[in-house]
Amino acid sequence: MNNGIRKIALIMVFSFVFLSLGLVYWQVVKADEMLDNPANRRAVYLEERITRGGIFDRNGVVLAKTEQTADGKVRTYPQGEMFEPLLGYATVKYGSAGLEATEAETLLGMKNPSILRRIQNAFELQRTGNDLILTLDSRLQETAYQSLQGKTGAVVAIDPQNGDVLALVSQPSYDAGAIEQDWDKIIAEEDSPLVNHAFSLFPPGSIMKVITSAAIFQAGLDTTELYDCEGSTVINGQTIQEQNDKAHGWVNYDLALAYSCNTYFAQYGIKAGVNHFLEAVSNFGFGRDIPFDQYVPISSITRDDPLPENLSLNLFAESTFGQGQVMVSPFHMALITAGVANDGKIMVPHLIDSVLDSKQNSIYRRTPEVWLTPLSKEEAEKITSGMVLAVNKGTASPGAISGAQIAAKTGSAEPGGDGDTHAWYIAFAPAENPEIAVAVLVEHGGTGGGAAAPIAKAVIEKALELKEGEN
Amino acid sequence: MLHRLSLRVLTLVILWMGLGVLKLDDMSESGFFLQGAVFSFLILAGALFEIFFCYQGDPYLLPVVQTILAIGLVFLARINPAQAADQFIWANLGLIIYYAVFFILRDYRKLGEYQYLWGMLALLMLLLTLIFGTTINGATSWFRFAGVGFQPEELVKVALLLFLASYLSDNKELLRFGTIQVGRLSLPDAKTMGPFVFIGVFVLGLLGAQKSLGTALVFFLLMVFILYVATERLLYLVVSVPLVMATGAAGYFLFDHVRVRVATWINPWLDASGGAYQISQSIFAISGGRLLGTGLGNGIGAYQIPNADTDFIFSVIAEEIGFIGAMAIISLFIIVVMRCFCVSTRAVDRFGQILAAGIGILIGVEALIILAGVTKMLPLTGLPLPWMSYGGSSMVGHFLLLGILAGISHSSAFSVSQIPIGKQADAL
Repeated sequence: MNNGIRKIALIMVFSFVFLSLGLVYWQVVKADEMLDNPANRRAVYLEERITRGGIFDRNGVVLAKTEQTADGKVRTYPQGEMFEPLLGYATVKYGSAGLEATEAETLLGMKNPSILRRIQNAFELQRTGNDLILTLDSRLQETAYQSLQGKTGAVVAIDPQNGDVLALVSQPSYDAGAIEQDWDKIIAEEDSPLVNHAFSLFPPGSIMKVITSAAIFQAGLDTTELYDCEGSTVINGQTIQEQNDKAHGWVNYDLALAYSCNTYFAQYGIKAGVNHFLEAVSNFGFGRDIPFDQYVPISSITRDDPLPENLSLNLFAESTFGQGQVMVSPFHMALITAGVANDGKIMVPHLIDSVLDSKQNSIYRRTPEVWLTPLSKEEAEKITSGMVLAVNKGTASPGAISGAQIAAKTGSAEPGGDGDTHAWYIAFAPAENPEIAVAVLVEHGGTGGGAAAPIAKAVIEKALELKEGEN
Repeated sequence: MLHRLSLRVLTLVILWMGLGVLKLDDMSESGFFLQGAVFSFLILAGALFEIFFCYQGDPYLLPVVQTILAIGLVFLARINPAQAADQFIWANLGLIIYYAVFFILRDYRKLGEYQYLWGMLALLMLLLTLIFGTTINGATSWFRFAGVGFQPEELVKVALLLFLASYLSDNKELLRFGTIQVGRLSLPDAKTMGPFVFIGVFVLGLLGAQKSLGTALVFFLLMVFILYVATERLLYLVVSVPLVMATGAAGYFLFDHVRVRVATWINPWLDASGGAYQISQSIFAISGGRLLGTGLGNGIGAYQIPNADTDFIFSVIAEEIGFIGAMAIISLFIIVVMRCFCVSTRAVDRFGQILAAGIGILIGVEALIILAGVTKMLPLTGLPLPWMSYGGSSMVGHFLLLGILAGISHSSAFSVSQIPIGKQADAL
């Protein structure tokens, strides 16, 4: 009989041990996943008890904060529409979006709390989350916002040397403070204000030539060789046309980039070969996830495959100057520009400068690191000289500013279907020692030089002025 | 003596710290301080009673149960203060019942003399519940009497255990060696097996008719395990596996709510706000607790999980005191179950031995089934967690059993030492 009892006792102990493994599974292994489950309202209810941390720009300007009023907590956005939809919103009724959503755990102080923090959490019912300090500069943001207002599109400004996002504007935008009242109006609006256009994909048009340049250099082609542009050329039965069928005459690489010569880049791109082209786009981050705090869709070369093994000749020819099926986000384009500016090294982009806990102790600080190195220093300098020529003699001249040399490239991308072309402008300045890289997209804005260049110009002027003020 | 008291003091420290934290957070009313004082007094008075009457039984069983009870009371005070007030009364009554059973029932062996009375009583109680009972949460297992709800099945557990223990102690050999040869197996004859099968089939049938499927599962496992303990024949365990499967399948096709439970067990996230609301909220609460918990009173589960005060009290505990706290609770239950088996191995007579083992099996199976249910390791079956969940019937029933166990434990220590040397073997 005692033998039977021992066996049953063993079964019981084993079952209890198995049960505790179940607890390990839920409380350790699956804990994060369960918190993210849409049916789990835990985060929302916890939030009601926690005062959400504030969001500040790099100079301490308040972008979002929670105020205690007689009726409870209210989340306010003192800068109005300027930082939307990047900042997003946080409401009980409609959930949250933007930074407010992606950084919710940090703002609520629930992400990787220290041991001390955990003990505090266990005894304090009312507590305050962490503050987010962004890399954005609200003065630059304001300039970008003012310049883009009334249009649809995006402006992204990045410090090429460390990857700090200095300004990020998407239009149309909305007032996050009034989101609950305006909800129905906002979601009914055309061009969806809730969508961040800086993180949406568009055909790049001629700004793609910057990337095709890398393929041309890396294939070892002679860039001093002259090419006679006749306004159009036929490749494999497909006619490649210049904008307005303009014949550029005899051009070398620098002039071809400055004049934005489609046929040159198609011919020389094909000469470089599809393998060099696909390697170059991959090195620039096509088909890759961008390491960033916000979700940015993967830029792609074809509709079916972001980074295909091969391309048909016709599609390849179109892709060299950013048509065909190439899609890229303004944010990624700003990174590419910053890479050219930073001697061919693309830095990991940062939007969050640091995180401070409720006692203002720093619990996170970003560190600059290289993401990709698509170009050598010499190759980057070659592209820079072409972009400088584009500003001084070519299509990018509307972006020129006095007092500093800028390097830029325009793009006017066929959106597919009717409507004006998307206007692109990528630029950095000063060309010899870049401090800011900008990508501007105006949807259906017409030409890059006409619609996008003035916006980039205003942002760069403001950035250089602020830099001068600091020194 | 000091040892006996120190465990009680530890229990009371847990109780008062818990009530104190709730008070600081303004989450409980001061009323509990009076209730808690009465409870504390009973615990300490009980310890003195044991010293006075030279209690020689197991020194850990009651203190550990009291600790489980104290933690349960703190969490009930946190989840639902109104019910906690009731529960304090039930807990105090439970302690009194425990000592009363121990004191009045000087010789537990007398209980073994009424085996068919216990069997019939169990059936009668279940039958009356089925006919006159009220249906709550899909199961017809409640009696409403003078405004107080009562679940007879908790007392059925006591009656059934007494029946099983006395029946098995009488028929152990016959069941073990059998009288009929079937191939290579020797099976007990119908006359021996009859009462066991009869009571078993009727009890499970009545519980099935009441739709108390969780309790039915507990009784089934209890009967199988206790039969195995008494006879040590693996055959009885092996036969039970297809039986469980067949009954499970029958339940699945017969009852809608069983199908829902199984579907939500397999994938709760498909219908997390509908049929799977309970189980998914329970999982969310448990995983929200992580290693150290949210802290007492800080959890969300206490407001979110339906029946947080009964079936799901463990989920709330796991959220608020975390994995560490939940493991502590599981350890306490392991200690209780193992001490029951210890009492069983030391008992002087066969009836006491089987009864003590049966009590251990019952507590272990109950705890395992409900804990496995709330952690999604088994389909959910509504069962109270012994001494923790809100409920007077369960409290009374379990303290009755614990009182009987104390008697067995006490007389084993006492009897062996009193029997002259040389004759102890006969008594065993």
